[in-house]
Amino acid sequence: MKTNIAVLYGCRSVEHEVSIISAVQAMRSINREKYDVTPIYVTKSGEMYTGEMMFAIESYRDTEKLMREADPVCLIRTGDSVVVRFLNQKAFHKKADIPVNVAFPIVHGTNCEDGTVAGLLEYLNLPYVGCDVLSAAVGMDKVVFKNVLENAGLPVLPCVSFRAREYVLEKERITAEVMEKVGLPAIVKPVNLGSSVGITKAKTPEELDDAISLAVSFSDKVLVEHAVTALREINCSVLGDPDSCEASVCEEPFMHDEILSYKDKYLGNADKSGASKGMASLGRKIPADLTAEKTEEIRKLACDIFRATGSSGVVRIDFMIDTETDKVYANEINTIPGSLAFYLWEATGLSYTDMIDRLIEIAFRRQRNRDNMTFTIDTNILSGVSFGTKGSKGSKM
Amino acid sequence: MLMTVGLILLAVGGLVSLWRQLQMLQQNSYFPSRYYGWMKESYVFEVTAECFAFCLAAFLYEKALALLIAAAVLLAVRLILAVSQHRKSIKKLVVTGRVKRLYGAAILVFALLVAGYALADGQTQMILRMLIAMFGLVTPLTALFAWLLTKPIESTFTAYYIRDAKRILKEHSGITVIGVTGSYGKTTTKFILQRLLDEKFNVVTTPHSFNTPMGVVRTIRGDIKPETQIFICEMGAKKTGDIKEICDIVHPDHGIITSVGPQHLDTFHSVDNVFATKFELYDAVTQKGGKLFANAESAGIAERVAKCPKALLFGGDSECRAENVTCGREGSSFDLVLFGERVPVKTRLLGAHAVNDIVAAASLAKALGVSAEEIRFAVSALKPTEHRLEMKSWQKGSVLIDDAYNANPEGCLAAVEVLGSFEGMVKTIITPGLIELGTKEYECNFNLGAKAAEVCDEIILVGKNRSKPLHEGALSKGFDEAHIHVVSSFAEAMQVYLPTVSPNHVVLLENDLPDNYLN
Repeated sequence: MKTNIAVLYGCRSVEHEVSIISAVQAMRSINREKYDVTPIYVTKSGEMYTGEMMFAIESYRDTEKLMREADPVCLIRTGDSVVVRFLNQKAFHKKADIPVNVAFPIVHGTNCEDGTVAGLLEYLNLPYVGCDVLSAAVGMDKVVFKNVLENAGLPVLPCVSFRAREYVLEKERITAEVMEKVGLPAIVKPVNLGSSVGITKAKTPEELDDAISLAVSFSDKVLVEHAVTALREINCSVLGDPDSCEASVCEEPFMHDEILSYKDKYLGNADKSGASKGMASLGRKIPADLTAEKTEEIRKLACDIFRATGSSGVVRIDFMIDTETDKVYANEINTIPGSLAFYLWEATGLSYTDMIDRLIEIAFRRQRNRDNMTFTIDTNILSGVSFGTKGSKGSKM
Repeated sequence: MLMTVGLILLAVGGLVSLWRQLQMLQQNSYFPSRYYGWMKESYVFEVTAECFAFCLAAFLYEKALALLIAAAVLLAVRLILAVSQHRKSIKKLVVTGRVKRLYGAAILVFALLVAGYALADGQTQMILRMLIAMFGLVTPLTALFAWLLTKPIESTFTAYYIRDAKRILKEHSGITVIGVTGSYGKTTTKFILQRLLDEKFNVVTTPHSFNTPMGVVRTIRGDIKPETQIFICEMGAKKTGDIKEICDIVHPDHGIITSVGPQHLDTFHSVDNVFATKFELYDAVTQKGGKLFANAESAGIAERVAKCPKALLFGGDSECRAENVTCGREGSSFDLVLFGERVPVKTRLLGAHAVNDIVAAASLAKALGVSAEEIRFAVSALKPTEHRLEMKSWQKGSVLIDDAYNANPEGCLAAVEVLGSFEGMVKTIITPGLIELGTKEYECNFNLGAKAAEVCDEIILVGKNRSKPLHEGALSKGFDEAHIHVVSSFAEAMQVYLPTVSPNHVVLLENDLPDNYLN
């Protein structure tokens, strides 16, 4: 009897392919002596498929063929358990439901990583790995994330945020506000997209206008924050839950372009080997070349941020160090980081397989905490109630 | 023809009355001997009436119409009785597969007898008629006959279920099984242990007070999931060998013996046998090299443990104990001393028994790797059972101890002691006293009154007549009569009491009864 993990990945997201890479990596690292794995590949239109071929990255090269060969399924609750149910049943060869004990969402970006998938799993009351609805949503919205951190007294850069419509209608006022509060050079980011899609740096007012125009094509909400000119980017991963968490070693990604663009992040080494290996293959230095004090400062900050946002599972928090002032700023949190940041944990002394084991334990722990908090009221207050409509004999409240 | 219809009606009446018989058979765990014990105690009148009805039927055996009318009337009466009894029963018949099979067997017997009657003649027909009347009227016999008929099938089912449960545990590598037994306190201890272990592990527990082999087997087959890491199994015993029987199914790694007392002496015969049976858990646990904790505060256990080199004690002045126990508006506060480590805890659970149960659970939880911090939090999160020394914040910031469901004399005295432990607070008891204790009722209420006089500042008695013994008991201790208030209902008690409360008041609501008892 093994615990069956349903790995959910893909989804309607600009980072669909990245999610496939992260998920296939993870599925291959799960301890199969202890767990069974049911892949649930969610297509860009939101259908769910499963099948043995899902474990091989090559299968995803021809998605049409994959769709033909795989089985369409759905994830539903029936009685005490949640099952993967096959949708296309043949009359004489029925495929039995596959019971699921825990879900493992490995999705990136809007429409999935932002709490959407967490919401689905909570609705099913199925234990799941990673952030819950609120912390995932906070992590996805860069402005809300900054507000939460500011409230907790954690260091973030000053910023201005606005909606696309506002920019079109009140361009002068917003530009003036950006100039006053943030100044140039500035970084322009679409709010609520993961990775670095749509992020650009603006050094002149013209560049600022272009950058904002690009950003609004990705998101309705835009964030402009001060660009630190002499900057080092440092990432740190945190594993655990708000009750008990620990930080990994720090990494310093190499910056090809001025900021880490989508191309760098996921396609960086693709040309040479022919197959993209995701975040794990990005050029980086692990551990980052920092003083012991700086490393400790960042690791402690990472845990504080993890708790302040109420995160769970494994996240990666990206920091910036202004090398002129030596100050550290929290930049963003990835609630489901590319490759699950396993390379940081391997460098910390925890194998990918053991890390997944820990994630599953954390998922069950959260479920137990919830079960212990839930008050079930056994009496059904509706049992004695009917609406007394005119002419009916039903009892009234 | 009339006779046949009359006999069928008798048979149907028998099936109706069988409901209650099967309910009792089920509650006596399908042991005919225990079921017989119940009949002897509570069913003598009914059995007599049934035998009388049988004689009447025998007398009427030539008069078809009279039999038919008698059978019809009897059926109506039995239907009404069965429905009202079913509604009234607290523990209703659970329609399990086994109950269905028993009913099936009874129906089959009646069908064969009636068919035989219709086909036979002469002497045979008369005998069959007598048999129908007998099974239709004396339903305990019907129940026992159905039990006898289905026994071989049931044994096969039972054997299969037990084998299946053993297989599940065997295939579940890495699961830790904990057995909890004792004459008292095992259910509470089990649930506290579950909450403590929940901090670190995926735990499955036998629900409610399921503690028979089949209850355990049902939990294993229904609730254990692949991710389950710990299975806590409550083990009940009514006779020698019962604990061993459960141990042979679950093979416990660790165990707790909460207490040993003179329970079920009719089947155990002696307290020594109770000890021997509870310590069957020790034998099973030592075989697997695990830990067994036994309650040093339960009489005789320390001596027994001295002969069991691998057993550990909790409570008293053993290695795992509670110290500095105090009680106040935040509930019980005490230091858990666990293998030399001191863990200060607070809980809403009240009373010495609760503290002792927490010590038992915490000792094992600590031994299994739950940290001191986790134990502190889990103990603070324990929930009291409803209306059992349940602490609630109340009007104007005062504290209410709701012990409304407590109706046993020792329990009531213990509750008053708990009230007494709220140092520095104004203490009030509201109670109508105890009922249905037969010849001991006066004495018990008198003692309760006397005990209340020792600790309370105000005594509010509900029901003028029935609270007299309490009143006398309180006065016997020299309690100032000006602080005894006799009221006619709980609502009136509230009117007397409510205007006077302040945050410094603690109120014990003891054995609140339905108003129809009060006069």
